[in-house]
Amino acid sequence: MQLPETQANVLESASASAPTPIETIATDIDEPTAAVTRAAFELEDHGLITVTESTSDSVSLTEEGEEYRRDGLPECRLYRAAATAGADADPVPMGDLIQAADLGGPAVDIALSNFARKGYGQIESGVISIDPDADPDADAEAQALVALAAGEPQDDTPIGSLERRGLIERESSTDRSVQLTDAGVTAMMEGIDVADTVGAVTPELLTSGEFESVEFTPYNVAADAEQTPSGRKHVLRRISDRVKRVLVGMGFEEMDGPHVDADFWINDALFMPQDHPARTHWDRFALAEPDRIDELPEELVTAVERAHRNGIGAESEGYHSPWDEEFARALALRGHTTSLSMRYLSGHQVGELEPPQKYFSVEKVYRNDTLDATHLLEFFQIEGWVMAENLSVRDLMGTFTAFYERFGITDVQFKPHYNPYTEPSFELFGHHPTTGELIEIGNSGLFRPEVLEPLGVECDVMAWGLALERLAMLMTGAEDIRDLHGTLADLDFLRTAEVTH
Amino acid sequence: MPVVDIDTDELRRLASTDDTDDELKAQLFGLGLEFEGETDDGELQFEFAPDRLDRLSVEGVARSLRYQQGTDRGVYLPSMNDPEWTIAVDESVPDERPYVTGAVVRGLDLTDAGLESLIQLQEKLHATMGRGRAKGAIGIHDLTLMKGESIATDREKSITYRGIDPEGDRFVPLDGETDATPATVLETHPTGEQYADLLAGMDRYPAIYDDIGLFSFPPVINGQRTEVTTDSRDLFVELTGTDQWTIDKMCTIICYALDARGGRVERVTVEYPDGTELDCPDCSVTEKTISHDRIESVIGVALSTEEVIDYLERAGLDADHEAGAYEVSIPPYRVDVLHPIDLVDDVGRAYGFNDLEPRYPDVSTIGGTHDRTQLEDALRETLVGLGFEDMLNFHLSNVENCFERMGLEPPAESVVGGGRPATIVEPYSEEYTIVRTWALPSLLTVLENNTHRRYPQALSEIGLAATIDESVETKVAERQTVAGVLGATNASYEDARGRLQAIATAFGVALSTPATEHPSFIDGRTATIEFDGEPAGVVGELHPRVLVEHDLELPVVGFEFDLAALSA
Repeated sequence: MQLPETQANVLESASASAPTPIETIATDIDEPTAAVTRAAFELEDHGLITVTESTSDSVSLTEEGEEYRRDGLPECRLYRAAATAGADADPVPMGDLIQAADLGGPAVDIALSNFARKGYGQIESGVISIDPDADPDADAEAQALVALAAGEPQDDTPIGSLERRGLIERESSTDRSVQLTDAGVTAMMEGIDVADTVGAVTPELLTSGEFESVEFTPYNVAADAEQTPSGRKHVLRRISDRVKRVLVGMGFEEMDGPHVDADFWINDALFMPQDHPARTHWDRFALAEPDRIDELPEELVTAVERAHRNGIGAESEGYHSPWDEEFARALALRGHTTSLSMRYLSGHQVGELEPPQKYFSVEKVYRNDTLDATHLLEFFQIEGWVMAENLSVRDLMGTFTAFYERFGITDVQFKPHYNPYTEPSFELFGHHPTTGELIEIGNSGLFRPEVLEPLGVECDVMAWGLALERLAMLMTGAEDIRDLHGTLADLDFLRTAEVTH
Repeated sequence: MPVVDIDTDELRRLASTDDTDDELKAQLFGLGLEFEGETDDGELQFEFAPDRLDRLSVEGVARSLRYQQGTDRGVYLPSMNDPEWTIAVDESVPDERPYVTGAVVRGLDLTDAGLESLIQLQEKLHATMGRGRAKGAIGIHDLTLMKGESIATDREKSITYRGIDPEGDRFVPLDGETDATPATVLETHPTGEQYADLLAGMDRYPAIYDDIGLFSFPPVINGQRTEVTTDSRDLFVELTGTDQWTIDKMCTIICYALDARGGRVERVTVEYPDGTELDCPDCSVTEKTISHDRIESVIGVALSTEEVIDYLERAGLDADHEAGAYEVSIPPYRVDVLHPIDLVDDVGRAYGFNDLEPRYPDVSTIGGTHDRTQLEDALRETLVGLGFEDMLNFHLSNVENCFERMGLEPPAESVVGGGRPATIVEPYSEEYTIVRTWALPSLLTVLENNTHRRYPQALSEIGLAATIDESVETKVAERQTVAGVLGATNASYEDARGRLQAIATAFGVALSTPATEHPSFIDGRTATIEFDGEPAGVVGELHPRVLVEHDLELPVVGFEFDLAALSA
């Protein structure tokens, strides 16, 4: 019979008359216990030996337990120091005793709490008095540590309290022994040839052709391996990429532009009155430094101011609100990426645009708010617009329906809404693909003539916006938005979040 | 968004309908009023977008419902009696609050619900159009408790709007116990304290007088003498503010509400010191023209002339059709109609936007991503391939994180990561006060927050960093920055250098790393990153001081460079 070397050696070492512990065999044949165990099970599969198992519990001292066995339990040391200082007669200040007992760090609290627990004396107002009748030499825990270290546990050993104090640890181990079967004895008598086994494929093995006559040491292929560290794209970035892919597929071109911008581009060009609550509200991220833009296109500023004050024609009213160019020049972190749309539509960013055009961005916007599970100070806004002749509400509905279908939302509802910058305006609602809950998924509309005329746009523009995190929470099931985004991110969440595709 | 509280019995009575609460809810949803919940008194609360401010009370909501249900059609104008009262504006009136308007409403029989609704309307108008009373503030008085002094031969009665010294007179405010000066009211009366900011810095305070004396202290509080109760039959409404149109419209909305409760509106004459005379409120219709083609083009369906006129009338408007266009009359309470396009929205709502069939527009364009995105994507793919976990951190940070904990002395303009940061006014959180000047501190914070997670930790980020630069259009130089860190028990400079080499190779640039010094890194283990000979960033082993500051107990190597340097 031909067997791999380890199996042959194990068979050789085993006895037919009495079980031999695997450890003993491992020592005999100078192989690791794991390898011997594996070989033993292989031999058992061949019916050559039997493997018997027994489980045993053992108790050993922890590092801290070992220290207390050597130096004494902190409370005993405290008692002895107190006894020496005469605390059986008059209370002694705690500080003196702690020093005398050479206690430091966590040992101080341990000493004090167990001293009290065991009734060694009284601790009051920083002084310690001891019970003269107590006897730390007879301390059951201290004695148990000594007994356990010597491997002689007594029946009354206070295992529970030592374990709670973290002074001992219990381990259960499985001991295996092997014994030759009749078939094993027969095989031995017939003679065993040792087959070559190899651990690794080597260049020599390949070039010599030796691999033809060797057996490879089998592995436990079912066991967990240490996980390979891997890089991956951020889960929110993946979703943003997916949104971008969908929009590019629909013919949209990407915009880019400043995060810090003048209120003119963020709000005034968008026909937001200067006394609109959103512009005076504290959630605007105004900058203290720098605080003013110098460069604004003069003609456009004049046209926008006129639209605000007087409207854009005989039958247009404008706002009955103050308008101050200095406010328009104030710098802030953009509250929406519509500032980019205004820059592009005005021709300021990439030159005059002729219809048809479609543009989008998936970029950060900022809101001075409280950070919590559903609100971030900065988040991604998906922004998109279509510029063409004679766009209708039906075109708007068709475009956004097509977009959301790509994310599994097939029943977009359009609720008439009001925005200062679009007319008509619609809030978009849809059902959550898994929970079925009806949720707001965007805001849209056709830009008002008061927005477009000053920008020099002579056709229609429909636009919509949506928070990317909103989509992401739906798609990943994240419940705390802070896990997704920012320096509070939990690496474990990012490492284990399912890859979306 | 504004919320209106509705007593549904009142709504049914005013709208002449027997609909159940649930039916009302459904119809109001169609008007854009969304059911939010119930008040403690069992009134239903509805939230709506802040355009139709005439719907801030049950009377306005009832009017819209009457149109929706077809009970009413076309423009309604309350009948107006000629003025008997004058508001004379004195030269002393504060420059900060120069405008006034008003109206008299007679013959009311206010119930508790009616009075409550009036008070609600007043408060909601203050909060919206009145911009917290700054732009417009309303005072409503019991007319029978006022005494008008005749100032002109051809008019009967007059009150005066003037400016007075803050300590210049005394009156008993509503809910006040004794008489007090306006200045004292601002200090001691709860309502006074609430609105004191509106008068900050004014030499003279606004005050309205009748023959007996001071009875209104706008925009803060009325006097107790003219307090309105359910016994009040005739009311005097006065409004002051910073814009005539705004207060006139607020006044109009109140007059429409009181008209709906059976009151007879009577105009008031306002006389300004320059001789201008206004008859208020100006309850005339305005007219706007909208073409049939434009309506069809925006809504996206073909409509007959009759249909359009029908929809307009169902929206409470009147329309004459001539030569392919409609001349539309708009009642004075419609503060939201700024342009003819707003009429198209009215037609669409009456038609029912939800009945429209979506269609994908035939607009053919070629899509694509920005160059910056393409470069970013390519580098992100390279970094992930090198084993980095891609991070997405906040762009906002604070001086402590960006500078001090990194060993930088602000503004540290000469080192990578330094520079004057863009700074936020009155940040809500002390954690977020500046736009970060570099990204490495963000990655160190992630390491700091994840010391309990498995090592090695290799993190990278491509994101925004910015510093003040007067030469840039927005005064802030924004750049996409690339940062990476590797925290591992055996991490060393070479690990970072090796990864940078891989990046340089991938992007076809030559990497060189001449030694440099940087306060965040260990001297002798720090280098300038140069791509094709141009300095682009810094690489090195993070200084133990920086590591300890971030509670890190193993070595960390890091690098940061400008994304744009790879595209040269």
